[in-house]
Amino acid sequence: MKPAVVVRDLRYRYHDGTEALRGVSFQIGGGECVGLVGPNGSGKSTLLLHLNGLLPEQPADDACVLIAGEPITRANLAAVRRQVGLVFQDPDDQLFCPTVAEDVAFGPQQLGAKGQDLAARVERALALVGLAGYGPRAIHHLSHGAKRRACLAGVLACEPSLLVLDEPTSDLDPRGRRELKQLLQGIPATKLIASHDLEWIVGLCSRVIVLDGGVVVADGLATEVLDDEQLMLAHGLERPHVLRHHHPH
Amino acid sequence: MLKDWVGHQHGRRDGLIQRAPAGLKLAVAMAIIGSTVAAPGRGQPGLFFVGAAVLALVAVAARISPGFLVRRLLLLSPFVAGVILANALQPDFRARALVLTGRSALCLSTLIVLSSTTPFSQVLLVLRRAHVPALLITTLTLMHRYLFVLAEEEQRMRRARASRTLVATRRLHWRVLGTVVGHLFLRASERAERIYDAMCARGWQ
Amino acid sequence: MHIPDGFVDGKTAVAAGVLSTIGLGVAVRRVRREISPRRMPLLGLAAAFLFAAQLVNFPVAGGTSGHLLGSVLVAALLGPSAAVVVVATVLIVQCLLFADGGLSALGSNLFDMGILSTAGGYLVYRTLVRRLRGLRGQIAAIAFAGWFSVVLASVGCAGQLAWSGTVALTTGLPVMAALHMLIGLGEGLISALVFLAIHRVRPELTAALPSAGPGKAAASTWEYGLCAALGIALFVAPMASPWPDGLARVASRLGFADKAAAPLVPAVAAHYHLPGVHSATIATALAGGLGTIIVFVLALVLGRILVPTPPATRDSSC
Repeated sequence: MKPAVVVRDLRYRYHDGTEALRGVSFQIGGGECVGLVGPNGSGKSTLLLHLNGLLPEQPADDACVLIAGEPITRANLAAVRRQVGLVFQDPDDQLFCPTVAEDVAFGPQQLGAKGQDLAARVERALALVGLAGYGPRAIHHLSHGAKRRACLAGVLACEPSLLVLDEPTSDLDPRGRRELKQLLQGIPATKLIASHDLEWIVGLCSRVIVLDGGVVVADGLATEVLDDEQLMLAHGLERPHVLRHHHPH
Repeated sequence: MLKDWVGHQHGRRDGLIQRAPAGLKLAVAMAIIGSTVAAPGRGQPGLFFVGAAVLALVAVAARISPGFLVRRLLLLSPFVAGVILANALQPDFRARALVLTGRSALCLSTLIVLSSTTPFSQVLLVLRRAHVPALLITTLTLMHRYLFVLAEEEQRMRRARASRTLVATRRLHWRVLGTVVGHLFLRASERAERIYDAMCARGWQ
Repeated sequence: MHIPDGFVDGKTAVAAGVLSTIGLGVAVRRVRREISPRRMPLLGLAAAFLFAAQLVNFPVAGGTSGHLLGSVLVAALLGPSAAVVVVATVLIVQCLLFADGGLSALGSNLFDMGILSTAGGYLVYRTLVRRLRGLRGQIAAIAFAGWFSVVLASVGCAGQLAWSGTVALTTGLPVMAALHMLIGLGEGLISALVFLAIHRVRPELTAALPSAGPGKAAASTWEYGLCAALGIALFVAPMASPWPDGLARVASRLGFADKAAAPLVPAVAAHYHLPGVHSATIATALAGGLGTIIVFVLALVLGRILVPTPPATRDSSC
C-alpha cells in the first residue's frame, strides 16, 4: 500500500535568500491523522504549500514530494490538486465568491460537475460541515466560525483523499474548536494539520511531526512527542495541559 | 457614508420588491432614468409627478428608510447649486434649476431603490448574461467581495497609527495616511496572490 | 466628482457611453496580454483597494479634506490597461451599489475618470519617467501626472456639461479647470506619498514598468490617446468658441469684435486675464499653461523633499 504522502529532503529558499526548509523528510500513510507543530517561522505553512504543488513556483524535475506514490510535476498538477485539499489559514483569502454556494461549487465546477450533480455535491459538502441551507448566504455576512466551515466545505466538495489544514482553529471559540474536531474525526481522508493549538492536536491526531528551523526535529506518537517537556520547550512549544494529568503507563 | 450603506444593506428586509428578478428591476430603473434624462426641455411636469409618486410607492414597499433617502438626496445639492450659480445670468434659470433638481432627484432615488433592493451578485448575473467580458465580471465580483474587507483593514490600520501618533502636525499626518494607504495596497497585493493560490488549489487553470 | 443623472443629456450620455465602451474594450483585450494569469485577482483587489483608499480623508483646512482618485497611481503600479479596468470597475460598483454617480452619466464618468484621466495621466507619467532619472524622477513624475489626470478629467466633465447645455463652456471650463488644478495638487501629493510608501517595502512593485517592447507599449498608449483625443474633440472643441453667443452679437454690434473684451466676459472667467493679453481664450490657455509649469516645478521640488538623498548613497536597509 503506497503511502499517501512522501516528502524526501525537501528544501526551499525565499526570494530574499532565507532558507525556509532545509531538508524535510517524512511519510504519511493512508488514513492517518498527523499534526504538524512548531514555533512561528519554522516553515509549516511553506511546507504545506508544497503538498499541492503551489510551491516551488517552477515544479522541478526531481520532485521531492510524492502524492500516492506519484511525484508532483508540471504535468500532473491538476490531478494532484484533485487529490489534495488544502485549507488555508485566512478564510477571507479562499472564500472569493459572493455566496457560499458559489464558493463551494468552485472546485467541483473545475472538475466538470454541472447542473443537478453540482448542486447535489454542494449540498452534501455543506451538510457535512453543518452549514446545510447556507448556500444563498453572502460570504461577508458570515461569522468567523461559519467562514471556516465554508472553507472546509469548499475543499471537501472536491472529495480529496488527502486533507491539509493550516491553523484551522485560530480565532475559533471553544465550541467552534470542539465542533471542528468532531467534524474532522468524521472524515475518513488522510489528514495533515498544522496548528499551534497543542491541546486540540492531542485530542485529534495520533501522530505528530515537530518542525523547527526548516527541519523535522521529532516525528512520533502524539502522546509521546508532546509529552517530552524538554523537546517541547527547546522548540518554542510546551507540554499540553491535558498530558500533564495523563499517565500513559 | 460607507457605514450608512453597510447597515442599510445588512438590514435589507425581504419583500415583494426584493424578490422581483434583478433584470426586471434594472430594466425599469434604466427606463425611468433614460426617459427622465431624454425628456426634452421643460418636460412634462405631470409626468414628473407621476414618476415621483410611483417611486415613492416602490420605496415604501421596499421599506427603505425615508431618512436615508433624504440624506442621500441632499448630497446632490453641491452639484445642483454649482449649476444654478453657473447659469444665474440666464433668462430662464429658475425654471431650468427646478427641472434639473427634479430630474436628478428622481434619478438618484431610482438608483437608490434599485441598489437597496437588488443584491449585487444578482446584478452581476444580469451583466454576465448581457455578454459583459468575463474579465470585467471577475474583477467586479472580486472587488465587491473584498471592498468591505479592505475598508475594515484600512480602518484598523488607521486606528493603530493614530494610537501611536503623539504629535499632531499636518505634514506628519499626511505622511502617515500615505503610508497607511500604501500598506493597504501591499496587503491587497499579497492577498491577491493568496487568492490565486487558493483558486489554483481548487483546480483553477 | 461623479456626475449624477440629469446633468448630462441623452446625446452626450450615448456618445460618452460609446467612447468609454470602446476604451474599456481595448483595455480588457490588452490586460490579458499585459498581466500574467497569476495577477488576475489583483485587478479585483486593486479595485477594492482603490475604493477603500478613496474613502481616506486627508485633512486640508477647516472641515475640508482631500481624497485620492488614484487612476495614475494604479496605472504606475499595474500598467495602463489594468488601471483602466480597475478604475472602471470602481466606478461601476460605486454607481450600481452606492448610487454614487448617475446611471445615465456612467458613460461620462467612465470616460472622464476611467479613460481620459487614466490614459492621459499615464502617458504623461511614462514620458516624464523616461526623462527624469531615479526615484526622485519617479516621484516627481507621478505627482505631476496625478495632478494632470485630475485636471484632464475635469476638462472632459466640463466639455460634457457644455455639450448637454447644462453649463456653458466659457463658464464651466475655467471654473472646473481652476478648481481641479487646486484639487489636483492633493492628488499629486497623495499619489506620490503612497507610491513612496509602497516603494519602501516592495520596490519591485514600483519599478518603472518594463514595456513588452517599445512598439507594443506605445501602441496601447496611442490607442487610448486616440480615444481620449476623440472625446476631447467631440465634447470640448466645438464648444470652445471664445464668446458665448449672446455676447458675440453684442460685441459685433458695438464694434468690439476684434478688441480686448475683459469686462464683457462673465465675471467668473475674468480673473483668468493677464494684463496686456487680448483674447479670452489665449488668456485662459496662458493662465492654464503657467499653472501647469508651476505645478511641474512643484513636482520636481516634491521629489527632492520626499527623497532627500539619492538611493545609491543611502543605506539600503532603510
